[in-house]
Amino acid sequence: MDPVIEVEGLRKEYLRVRGRRTVAVDGLDLAVPQGGVFGFLGPNGAGKTTTIRCLLGLVRPSGGRCRLLGQEPAGLYRVIARVGSIVESPTMYPRFSGRRNLELLGRISGIGRARVAEALEEVDLAERADDQVKTYSLGMKQRLGIAGALLKDPEVLILDEPANGLDPAGIVEVRELMRRLGRDGRTVFVSSHILGEVQQTADRVAILARGRSVAVGPVQEVLSAGHAAGLLVRLDDVLAGLRILGEAGIEARVDDGVLKVGLPPAEAARVTRTLADGGLYLTELRADEADLETVFLELTDGATRGKSR
Amino acid sequence: MNGLLASEFRRFRSRKLVKVLTALEVLAIVATGVIVLLTQEYGLASLADVLMGTSLVLLSVGWMLGASAIGADWHAGHITTILTWEPRRGRVMVAKIAASLTGVFVLSLVIQALLGVALAVAAAGAGSTAGADAAWLAESAGVALRVALLSTIFAGFGFGLASAGRNTAVALGVGFGYLVIVENLVRGLRPRWTPWLLTDNAAMVVIGRPLDFPELGRSTIEAGLYLSAVAAVLLLAAAGLFRARDVN
Repeated sequence: MDPVIEVEGLRKEYLRVRGRRTVAVDGLDLAVPQGGVFGFLGPNGAGKTTTIRCLLGLVRPSGGRCRLLGQEPAGLYRVIARVGSIVESPTMYPRFSGRRNLELLGRISGIGRARVAEALEEVDLAERADDQVKTYSLGMKQRLGIAGALLKDPEVLILDEPANGLDPAGIVEVRELMRRLGRDGRTVFVSSHILGEVQQTADRVAILARGRSVAVGPVQEVLSAGHAAGLLVRLDDVLAGLRILGEAGIEARVDDGVLKVGLPPAEAARVTRTLADGGLYLTELRADEADLETVFLELTDGATRGKSR
Repeated sequence: MNGLLASEFRRFRSRKLVKVLTALEVLAIVATGVIVLLTQEYGLASLADVLMGTSLVLLSVGWMLGASAIGADWHAGHITTILTWEPRRGRVMVAKIAASLTGVFVLSLVIQALLGVALAVAAAGAGSTAGADAAWLAESAGVALRVALLSTIFAGFGFGLASAGRNTAVALGVGFGYLVIVENLVRGLRPRWTPWLLTDNAAMVVIGRPLDFPELGRSTIEAGLYLSAVAAVLLLAAAGLFRARDVN
C-alpha cells in the first residue's frame, strides 16, 4: 500500500536580507503509512511546520519532492477534500461565531450545516457555537480549529501542534480524539513538542532536528534507540548504599532520593548482592528505561552538535 | 468554484468595515435629507451635481473596501486557512476579486439610490422638484452608474496593492501618497503627462464629458477604459505574485 505522505529529499531554503540563506528543511525523507497516528517531533525551528506547509502547497520546496495521497502540491486540489489540517494556530474570523466560521469554510466544499453541527459536537463546542470567536479561550479556538479540520470527515488529518493552549482536560480530549481517529483507519499526522503526548498517542514517530530526520519508526523501536540508562534502586539509606556500591567499584549517584546505578539491567543481581552483603536491603529495583523525551533530547542534541562542528 | 464564490460573497457582506462604512454613509444621507428639509432650498434638478460631489467619498470607500477585502485576510492569516480548503490559488484570487468588486459596485449603487430617494423626499416636502423629468432621470442614473463603476475600479486598485503588499495599510498608504502627492507633483512639473494621471481620468468619467481643463485628448469611455486597464494590470500582477510566493 502506498504511503499517505511521502517526502523525498525535501529541502527548503529561505533567502534572508543581504543574500543570507536559512535552511529550514535539509534533505528530509519521510513515508507515513496509511492508518494510525504518526508523531512528527522536533524542537522549535527543526522544520516541522515548513514540511507541513510544503505538503499542503503553501510553500514551494527548494528541492526534493513531497506527495500527499499520491499528489504533488500542483495536483493537491484533486485530494484536498480528503485532507483536514491545522497549520500553526488556526485562524478564524474573531467577530463571527464559531458556527459561522465553520459554515463559511464548509461552503467552499459544499458541506452543510448538519455536518458543521456534528463537528462542533465532536470537539465539545456545541454550547458555545453561536458565540463570537473573540470571546473564546485559546483552548476553545484550538478546538474550533480541530473542528474545522474534521469538517470534511477527512481520511488524512494533519495537525500542527494541536494541543497548543489546551488545558490538561483539553489535552486528554485531543489525545482521545486522535486515538479514535487513528483506530477508525484514518491517518493522523501530528507535529508536537509535547513528547509525552505523542508517546501515549502515536503508533509511529519521526524525530526531526535541523531539518533532517534523525529517527523514524514505531515508537517502541525509536525508544530502544535510546541508550540503556542503567538501574534505579530505592532503599532506606541511599547514602550508605552509594558508599557500599562505590567501595565495590560500581558507579552510582543519588538523584531525587533514588540511586541511579551505571550498570545495565542484566547486572541487577550484582547490585542486590553487593547491597545485601553490606547489610542494606532495597525496596525497589527497576531498569532505568529511556522515555521518548530522553531519546528525543539525545538525538536532537547530537544532531545539533554534529552540525555545529 | 461556486462554493468558494458564495463563501467569499458572504465573507464580504459580513465584514465589519463594510457594515461601518455603509452605516456612516446612510447616516450622512439621512443628515443631508434633514438639512435639505430644514433649509427648504433644495431643487431636485441638481441631483446629478450632488452625486458628482459625493463621488469622492464613494471612490475612497471603494478603495478601502477593496484593500481590506484581501489585506485583512493576509494580516490575520485567513489566506492559509482558505488555501487548505482550495489550493488552486488562481481560483481563490478570482473569487476574492469577484466578491469584493461586485460588493463595492452594488454598495455604491445602493448608497447613491438611497441618497437620491432621501433628496427626492426632502425636495418634495420642502424644496422644488421642478425639472425632474425623464432626461433628468437618465442623467442622474448615468452619473450614479459611472460613479459605481469608478468605485469598482478604485476597489480594484486597492485590492491589487493590498494583495501585493499583503497588508491593507500598504494599499491605503500607497494610494494616498500616489494620488495626493505624486500626481500633484506630476501635474505641476510635467503637465504633458497629465492625460495619464488617474485623478484627471477619474474626474472625466464622473463628469461624463471631456474636461475643459486640462485637455486629456480622449473620450469619457477611453478614460474609463484606461482606468480599467490600470486596475487590470494591478490585479494581474497581484494574482501573479500570489501564485508565485510562499504563504507563510
